[in-house]
Amino acid sequence: MKIDKEKCIGCEECHPYCPVEAIATVEWEGKAVSEIDQDLCVECECCHDRSAVCPVDAIFMPVLEWPRSLRAHFSDPNVVHPMTKGKGRGTEEMKTNDITGRYRRGQVGVGIEMGRPGIGTSVRDLEIVAMALARLGVEFEPLNPVADLMADLKTGKFKEEVLGERVLSAIIEFKVETDRLKGILLAIKEIAKQIHTVFSLDLISRVNPDGTIATTGIALEAGYSPRPNTKTNVGLGRPLFEEA
Amino acid sequence: MTHSLHRRGAAEDLCDDFVVVVKYSRQAMAADTQDRMRRIWEIFSHHEGNLENFGNHHPNWKGGPLYSMAELKKMDSPIIHAVFKDREKLKACLKEIRENDLGLSVVVSGLYDETATLCGELGIKPHTVNQSLGIHGKTELLPEEGILELHTMCGHAMVSINLIRDMIRKINAGRVTCKDAAKKLSRMCDCGIFNPDRAEKLLSRMTAK
Repeated sequence: MKIDKEKCIGCEECHPYCPVEAIATVEWEGKAVSEIDQDLCVECECCHDRSAVCPVDAIFMPVLEWPRSLRAHFSDPNVVHPMTKGKGRGTEEMKTNDITGRYRRGQVGVGIEMGRPGIGTSVRDLEIVAMALARLGVEFEPLNPVADLMADLKTGKFKEEVLGERVLSAIIEFKVETDRLKGILLAIKEIAKQIHTVFSLDLISRVNPDGTIATTGIALEAGYSPRPNTKTNVGLGRPLFEEA
Repeated sequence: MTHSLHRRGAAEDLCDDFVVVVKYSRQAMAADTQDRMRRIWEIFSHHEGNLENFGNHHPNWKGGPLYSMAELKKMDSPIIHAVFKDREKLKACLKEIRENDLGLSVVVSGLYDETATLCGELGIKPHTVNQSLGIHGKTELLPEEGILELHTMCGHAMVSINLIRDMIRKINAGRVTCKDAAKKLSRMCDCGIFNPDRAEKLLSRMTAK
């Protein structure tokens, strides 16, 4: 996002709308105007069309060339991602698992939602996490848009040209067998010390026949405290697969 | 792995906050998929008075309400969201969705104990669960918990931390009511999963003199 300094009246109404505190007041040709720090801005549209906050229409979205365009792909949920052809930053994951059978019993989906909540992340931090996980033999979800930023899915190395970018959030997604989960969770605790942002962590699993959650005990053993609220696919979809 | 999973708050607050997500799989696209999605909107319209919020990723940014139920019933929807605060009202809606047997995936975000009990009452077996293990990494960057409770009601982070602080300042200065502040925050959430009723309560608590 950019601000036309000729038009800006320096009212600062747009400042609180920015989720990454990229807007500040500067002196320009003898007047106070707002300016957007282009290193921090994640092109999310919050200060522009989403809020329509500017009283003089001074804020505008410039044409975004690659790799800067990835900021909008991962930060503005109203933008269609060129890889997934859908809005949002993730995959269908467990939302349609009753139809697709993507996660079977004995398997766990792991999501490391980098930058969430509300802090944002550099692509360099994504690479730190991905490379550490790749060394553990994790196979990244190829349909997740983060995979498209990687030069090598086996090593978790990202494309050189994207490393300087920032996004509001991006999800490192993979699936492991349940018996590997504890080791992975312990490793994530160590990886968390190496990055400069936050992440929200989540696990996907089939609900046990008795209604309990298979991953709760493993998470507790690894020193995590599962939240009481979950996302639950209630199983009304028409399956395309047969249960093993 | 989701915008509706990581809502913060104590169980006592979260017990009045359910997000329903309806989604079709691209692997199972059929000629009538969008007709079935419109049918879901028809069902939600029967319960519109019980919805705290709703949307489908096609928000109206041009002023006025973010979503119109009448318009949603005519549109194609890549995904459908609706927010309930009352478990019994949610149950009535889920019952109607199940009876229509549309074959679409239905996901409920909320307290697992409540969701599992509700499923049991409807004779549904929960299929798959996404469990949050909380926030990790450089957590010293995070704001205080009350702000986070409001912020995480839009998992895409469109309701900025500073906008919440700004609204609290304006409420304390008598420039806006908690109800109007909650509405203003809610409008930033494209998906329609922000719960303005819960936000109003949280803002009232945070600004109580």
